[in-house]
Amino acid sequence: MSSPILSIKNLSKTYSNGVRALNNVSFDVEPGEFLVIIGLSGSGKSTLLRCMNRLHDPSAGEIWFQNRRIDQVKGSEIRHVRKEIAMIFQHFNLIPRHSVLSNVLMGRLGSTNTLKSIFGLFTKEDRETALRYLGLVGIREKAGIRADQLSGGQQQRVAIARALSQNPKVLLADEPVASLDPATCHTVMDYLSKVNKELGISIVCNLHFLSLVRQYATRVIALKGGEIVYQGSPKEIDEAWFGRIYGEGAKEVHVN
Amino acid sequence: MAAFTAREQKKFMSTKSSSPKILFFDAVFFTYTAALLCYVAFLFVSSIGLVSGDYDKDFAIRYMSTFSLICLGVFLFMLAALKILSSTTSVSTVGAFLFSNPIRKLELAQTSFLKSFWGLHLLVTLILTFFVSLRVTQFSIYELTDPDGLGGAIRLFSDLANPNFDLLPTAIIEVFETIFIAFLGTAVAIPIAFLLSFVCAKNIMTNPVAFAIYVTLRTLLNVMRSVEPLIWAIIFTVWVGVGPFAGMLALLIHSIASLTKQYSEIVEGVSDGPIEGIRSTGASTVQTVWFAIVPQVVLPYIAFTIYRWDINVRMATVIGLVGGGGIGTLLIKYQGQAMWREVGCIILVIAIVVWVMDTASAYIREALK
Repeated sequence: MSSPILSIKNLSKTYSNGVRALNNVSFDVEPGEFLVIIGLSGSGKSTLLRCMNRLHDPSAGEIWFQNRRIDQVKGSEIRHVRKEIAMIFQHFNLIPRHSVLSNVLMGRLGSTNTLKSIFGLFTKEDRETALRYLGLVGIREKAGIRADQLSGGQQQRVAIARALSQNPKVLLADEPVASLDPATCHTVMDYLSKVNKELGISIVCNLHFLSLVRQYATRVIALKGGEIVYQGSPKEIDEAWFGRIYGEGAKEVHVN
Repeated sequence: MAAFTAREQKKFMSTKSSSPKILFFDAVFFTYTAALLCYVAFLFVSSIGLVSGDYDKDFAIRYMSTFSLICLGVFLFMLAALKILSSTTSVSTVGAFLFSNPIRKLELAQTSFLKSFWGLHLLVTLILTFFVSLRVTQFSIYELTDPDGLGGAIRLFSDLANPNFDLLPTAIIEVFETIFIAFLGTAVAIPIAFLLSFVCAKNIMTNPVAFAIYVTLRTLLNVMRSVEPLIWAIIFTVWVGVGPFAGMLALLIHSIASLTKQYSEIVEGVSDGPIEGIRSTGASTVQTVWFAIVPQVVLPYIAFTIYRWDINVRMATVIGLVGGGGIGTLLIKYQGQAMWREVGCIILVIAIVVWVMDTASAYIREALK
């Protein structure tokens, strides 16, 4: 087995208001895997992802990305890390007033000179890349439409295309289907799966629905109160584990 | 009282019934009432001829230090008296009504304010203040209905209502000057306020150094804004001489301060999602501001800017009165010579321009929503 692409060692995060979101979390992300993180709201899933691409600063511990330590880097190096470790969000976080193509081009900001980007001077290759990834997520024909006129599922696909145009090694997905209807859920998850298989990009995804976890994940980590309580195959999560992760008395909800 | 849990009740009870805040406020308020009472009593005594002479402003100015000392003495006496009173009896003073803990407040609100001490005290003080204000403003029904004065007013109004339109071309040229003064004052302020607005937004200036810059700039701009454009105009007429340039500079200073405040409040209200989205792509701070924040703020910015220009046209007129150029300067010239028919023409032009600007800017701002 090759060396892990991302390696989290004893990571802890305490917010300035004293909330301890992560406590001594350690795990590896292997190249090409579809790793899913589950847990209750407030269990630290979102914080964990945001520490991995340095949107948040971890309080203690180490993060290694391609054998380089990234938990202490600053300035332009942080931006380089974020470029390599792309992210999509629960609420898509697109720019509503801009066109779909313009939103996807924003994935190139990290590789474009600030002055050039402000005047919209993206290269021809950048535009072609953007259109290609829009094609990959099946909405190439929507390139000229304003982003806020798309449905939720389509917006999340634009967000995937934006993340892909960063040419990332890893894609973090923070509850990518939590604000979508059940049918659209599967479309978006299928595209994430496609990205994972066709482009070989490792995916770390926060999810709520266990049925989706069983269908898409190659490996599962469960967080509870900021600590890892389960690590292993999605097929091994039975009733007992479910109770331990989500609390006794919780009922599993299925998405079909 | 059921609205509070037992624990909250205990907490409120444990805090002393007379906090320093209540004590201080009451002492100030009682001193003020005492001073008003003294003044009214003095007016009464002098009006029935017990003392004679001019005891008004000059008298007060001459013995200012004595009066201040007496007031301080009364204040300290009140402080001591209230301190002793509050520990023995529970008088419902105004301060107690305003600043007590919620349970005591509920108790005080049970009785009608006319039957409570704080209510009567407040009422008496307001009535006294009203009468003293009448005296200070030299309010006089006699002056208002004096036939000489009334005749003058009627003459003035009839002149104003019968404008001399020979002055119309001059007035139009001058009003254009006013509009351009307002335009340049606004236009130059836009880019400056645009850049400053990000530096003055709390959600951008998060790290300690940036926050220090934020506080400094905000304070400076608040000072700039609290000085009226009229005062700025006076300053600039000394600096660059009487004329439209001084007026423009005065409006510029005030517009920068006002626009920066309004712009930065818009920036503080933007949604965080797009910011996080752009940051996650590895964008620099400038790129994040440009791509995540600017698209969210551009329309409200335009609306506020048009409104500011509209305000500035009205302000430019007033600024002209102190030498800021434009139609205001023309107005003060004819007013000084009591040429009311010409003044009527100028006022008509101002009214039309202000009305047009007001309506147009309202329509445009509505369309931008």
